[in-house]
Amino acid sequence: METDTTQQQVQESIDSADLVVSILAEFDSDSIAKVYESLRGLPGSLRIAVMENDQRESPAPATSEAAEKRASAETAQKNAAVFHVSSPSTKPEGSTARVPRTSAAYQSVFAMAEKLQARGCCIVASKLETITPGWIWQLAQPLLEGEADLVLPRYARRKFEGLLNNGIIAPLMRALYGKRVNNPMGPDCAISQRLIQTMLESMASRNDNRRHPLASLTSTALCENLQVTEVHFGARIYPPADWTGMSSVLADILSPVFLDMERNAACWQRTRVSAAVRAIGEPRNVAEDTAVPDTRRMIESLQLGNRELQEIWGLVLPPSTLFDLRKLAVLPVEQFRMSDELWVRIVYDFALAHRLRTISRDHLLRSMTPLYLGWVASYAHDLKVSGAASPEQRLERLSLAYEASKSYLVSRWRWPDRFNP
Amino acid sequence: MWQQAKQALVDATARFLSRLASLLPGLVALVLALLVSVLLAWILARIVKRLLTSLRFDERLGQWGFASLAEWSPRNSPTILISRSLAGLVIVGGFLIGVAAFDFEWSYLFVESIFVYVPNVLAAFLVLLGGNIIARFLARSVLIGAVNLNLQYARFLSIGVKWLVIVLAVAMALEHLRIAPGTVQLAFGILFGGIVLSLALAVGLGSKEFVTKSLELDAKKVSTDPRATKLVEEDPLRHL
Repeated sequence: METDTTQQQVQESIDSADLVVSILAEFDSDSIAKVYESLRGLPGSLRIAVMENDQRESPAPATSEAAEKRASAETAQKNAAVFHVSSPSTKPEGSTARVPRTSAAYQSVFAMAEKLQARGCCIVASKLETITPGWIWQLAQPLLEGEADLVLPRYARRKFEGLLNNGIIAPLMRALYGKRVNNPMGPDCAISQRLIQTMLESMASRNDNRRHPLASLTSTALCENLQVTEVHFGARIYPPADWTGMSSVLADILSPVFLDMERNAACWQRTRVSAAVRAIGEPRNVAEDTAVPDTRRMIESLQLGNRELQEIWGLVLPPSTLFDLRKLAVLPVEQFRMSDELWVRIVYDFALAHRLRTISRDHLLRSMTPLYLGWVASYAHDLKVSGAASPEQRLERLSLAYEASKSYLVSRWRWPDRFNP
Repeated sequence: MWQQAKQALVDATARFLSRLASLLPGLVALVLALLVSVLLAWILARIVKRLLTSLRFDERLGQWGFASLAEWSPRNSPTILISRSLAGLVIVGGFLIGVAAFDFEWSYLFVESIFVYVPNVLAAFLVLLGGNIIARFLARSVLIGAVNLNLQYARFLSIGVKWLVIVLAVAMALEHLRIAPGTVQLAFGILFGGIVLSLALAVGLGSKEFVTKSLELDAKKVSTDPRATKLVEEDPLRHL
């Protein structure tokens, strides 16, 4: 009770800050105390407001030792330039889905940064395998020095991690907006005041509650010709694959991406070639997994989908793609390979069907799951072969296929009825 | 005697002719109403057909999940089905107007009973339409969900759900139409119960192995057995 009153008094006395740091990742109290300490050790006379994850469903119980450390950190705040602020309540009523919750959290960070007239905000939404004291500063530095409007992470990656990002989101964004951004949806990122204002204005003018800030950040920055920078980090700790909820994950993630693609159609149709973005730091090496993924069940999923979902895929995919999928479904497991061109056309056709509302958008994206699993199986087979290309080379080839097929997307986007191969 | 018979015959002929004469305006009105309604129906059908063709209604209907409507339609075109149905309604309306032109009590009663029944027909039609939409939506949801869970009997499950909803909608529509309510209730109970039982048996028997595996996996997750944790950790794929 006493702590609450103190916090309220501290919050009331804060009317401005240089930087808002939001911790959305589910850190334990020790890690949070370390974040406070590292922030207090930053150079210069910065005023930093820290928002913790108030929307965490079940906060980890603090041990007595951790609680002591936390208390000492809070006591120290009074004389330091690091303040704790509570996030404004933006949680949608009755919402339990992961993506709306994340969206609300990002929006509350933007609102707080705007309220405190901060020069930018820094969002920490994932855990890294090795946390160095200065990693938050690495994100925020280019922002505060005026060199960037959006700072995104470039995590050291293992070949089977971040597959949804590597297989769809990153190469799609690269082909659409012409910048080679490795993790366009962060989730860790630093955002300048200018970009925050653009995002808030854009969301307010369109009164669009479905817009996910994380999906729109990179595209907005690139369409507004703002500076995007990447920072090399260590490996990120990814949540284990939830095979039963895969279709929900796909629908939750791809829906805002495709919606954003629809909004920015005028912007991305002008772009033809891609260029690298500025990267800070050196790439980190990580030990590769020795475990081999089981591709059999993923191929079975594609085969079942090919057998049972023809009536849905037939509304989305052109006959040539359906024919290729039929051929693919009868291949033996060891020969199973989905060509990059086929996969890219599938993604583009689903994006188009999402725009045209060919069928219910939720059904559409969920029906893409067997196709995505087919691509994952094919990707895993490619990397399993001895002497195969490295993940970077393999993903570069995929990204080039996305770029090469962009004319197909543009044609179908402009003339969906006339251009149907 | 002969005179009287002749008089009766003349009277009867006169009465018949006068009755026939009084019926003639009604008949003419009926023929006219039918002719006008046929003309109006033809014009309306042409307009609706053109409008729906320009909107690519047949194509869109397929996209909305009503592709099977084409099978029931003349020349596989729902546009023709709708335009002809509207034309039929206009002709029936014209016929009822024509019948009402007869100045008889039975004609009033006939037309009135038809109009009293119209709301029931409309309600039944709406129930059938709504049921059909819901059935198709649920069938598609179940099909996609079951395929994503790698269930081999996904199609069977989806068809079962679709027919459950359609049977329910048909029973409700027949209830609105007041057609053999007792028989409908009994038939519905038997059909609905039959479908549920067959689905339960099929899914129960078919997914015995799947349920066993799920329960085993859950038990392993709950237990502190380090091998169980290793099983999850061994999968190197990370999607998010």
